[in-house]
Amino acid sequence: MYLNRVHRTFPKLKKVVTRLHSQVAIIEENEYTETPQYPPILDMSLEAKKLREREALHKKIQDINTVEEKQIALNMPRYYGWKCIMLHEDKVPYNALPLVQYYTRSHFVSIDKLPEVYNETGASAETISQEIKSQVEEAIAIENDGIDRNFTPSLESSSLKSEASLKEDAISKCIIRQINRIIFNNLTDKVPHILSSQVDYDARHEAFWFIGGVKPPASIRNFRKQFKWLHDKIEEPVDRPVQYIGTPMLTIRNRSPLKPLIPYSEAENPAFKVPIFHHLPRSVGYYDHHRHGTNIPGFWPGDYDEFGLMSYHGRGHILDRKESFGPEDNLEALHCQALKASFGWLLSQANYQGFTTFNDITYPLVTQTIITNGQYWSLYAYQLNTIVMHNDKFDSNPKHNICFGTNPLKLYDCIENGNVKGFNEEVLKMLIQFYLNAPEDREHEMKPYLGKEEQVVADIEDDNRRCWLESRYKHLVANRPKHLLIPETYLWEDIYKIKFKTRFFEAKRRPFELGINPFRRRLDEHLPPYIPKVLRPYPRSKKKFETTYYPKV
Amino acid sequence: MSTRWYPIYQRGNPQLRVFLPNFWMKLVRPRGTQLPNIVHFECSMEMTKHDIKNYLNKIYNIPVVEVRTKIFLGKFKRDIGKGYIVKDDDIKNAIVTLPKDMKFEYPDIFEKAKDETEEQEKALTEAKKSFQNYIDRNKNRSDVPSWFSI
Repeated sequence: MYLNRVHRTFPKLKKVVTRLHSQVAIIEENEYTETPQYPPILDMSLEAKKLREREALHKKIQDINTVEEKQIALNMPRYYGWKCIMLHEDKVPYNALPLVQYYTRSHFVSIDKLPEVYNETGASAETISQEIKSQVEEAIAIENDGIDRNFTPSLESSSLKSEASLKEDAISKCIIRQINRIIFNNLTDKVPHILSSQVDYDARHEAFWFIGGVKPPASIRNFRKQFKWLHDKIEEPVDRPVQYIGTPMLTIRNRSPLKPLIPYSEAENPAFKVPIFHHLPRSVGYYDHHRHGTNIPGFWPGDYDEFGLMSYHGRGHILDRKESFGPEDNLEALHCQALKASFGWLLSQANYQGFTTFNDITYPLVTQTIITNGQYWSLYAYQLNTIVMHNDKFDSNPKHNICFGTNPLKLYDCIENGNVKGFNEEVLKMLIQFYLNAPEDREHEMKPYLGKEEQVVADIEDDNRRCWLESRYKHLVANRPKHLLIPETYLWEDIYKIKFKTRFFEAKRRPFELGINPFRRRLDEHLPPYIPKVLRPYPRSKKKFETTYYPKV
Repeated sequence: MSTRWYPIYQRGNPQLRVFLPNFWMKLVRPRGTQLPNIVHFECSMEMTKHDIKNYLNKIYNIPVVEVRTKIFLGKFKRDIGKGYIVKDDDIKNAIVTLPKDMKFEYPDIFEKAKDETEEQEKALTEAKKSFQNYIDRNKNRSDVPSWFSI
């Protein structure tokens, strides 16, 4: 380093100052090898380059340490949120089963008896159902007949759902809580996993993933038509972000996951078929909405009981469906609800284990889903084998998820004079078998893609970083409306400025005139909060804005 | 149903009249691809979902499961000659779902016409080819009339 002639006066200074911009000459002379070593030959076409870019992004997300940062990373490309296809748990349009199966990559098996895994617990469930039968009957009778309910639906909810469906959901919620209480009380001293499990009421379940192989919407097709080199790719499939939102009435979760229903190697079995559905979701009746993708399995990251055992869902929405849909489609609607709810919950659990829609799970997860209105009970057992189905993998990924489900089973025929008539013990037995299905610790590593020390944001030592990430994460997943209005092209601008250039002489200031698409803005493209001068560190600090800790993806 | 009033009878008016409602529906090709059990119609702006369902069900005996309607903005154009911008009327689209086991394919009305135009084009290209041949043959004798050859 040249030290402005000072080094002549202080000759020793030269030894003290390190030479930052210089390197040691290569000591090893042997730069030739016996066989020539070439760098790998890469495909330099545009598609291959873009594919490598995407793969690099997926690798970066995989390498992030904490769960929350991964979730922020999934949302990094969009400041105003993804244009998600909204799969609500209780909104099932006509003929939705092929779409739901494709979007959740689930093979559905209709069953009358529970799968083989449940065979061991059959005998003990029999005795327990004998013990609690009278209690369950009494609870059902009291909840249906014995309580004078004064049900007034709130204005907000009644605008979306009919009063009949709200009422049915309200009663079934009471019955579910009672039956869960009875079974829990009976089982606590018989099996060890019941006491250690947690019960949640009205949990918040949200899941976000990308589905590939969907035909491009008109906007993308029109964009591709503009350029000659894209003309042969106009119909190429695109990625669509999907968001599931559901509220189970009751969920049970535990520290350890359930045992797989079928061995993990079976996931690639070609007999499990999923119909391909590449039409636009709008053609079925699922619409899109701008929002940040969220993965929430009913608790925040860091909770110890992070594996679901079972969840109860209401079926009031069936009453709101049109009569013309018919009973057969109503049955399919229940299957759709079960597939969405099971996949959504397991996917968000998998996200808390460090997997995302870009990094596939390394072990299967299992959940049990019950859809009921108190009288009719449909039981589903779902095994999650894969969560990667984005556009690069949708046809090359051989794995499928699998769902075993029953038709609605009648728990009782009717209630007469405060007594339950025609009680079906088989249904209660199957329900108890769901409870007796014990979770088990797995021998493999559960969180291969999370850090060793830092697994959630709460583990981060740096106070500023931890607090910033925590509040940013919570703010992101709250999906509250933006403080400022979302940019908009007014109709008059569309007519007089975009379609017809009648105002070409005016100054070009609006985003569409500058060639900016505001919806492509990245999450970190904003000014961080300003630090007023009085608050800056003493004596002098040039730092005007606070630090942000967005994950670097 | 109709938005038109049936005229009140006045003495001297004809006693029997044919009364036509102003409801109409036009089968159209769907914008983009569509599921096989979904049919698109354009219909009069006054029709509601119930009207559309009854129209198809009662007149044509079509089993209708669900009707969705959508109003498309009319096209904007520049008026030829005047230069200002005018707009076409909006269009109401009815997206009708049939039972899932039914299939509807939009008929190819101009199948024969397509064959005819193809034949015509073929003849035209052949004529062009022979003319090009004739020019190529005679490119070195530009001033010689066509009848002057062996």
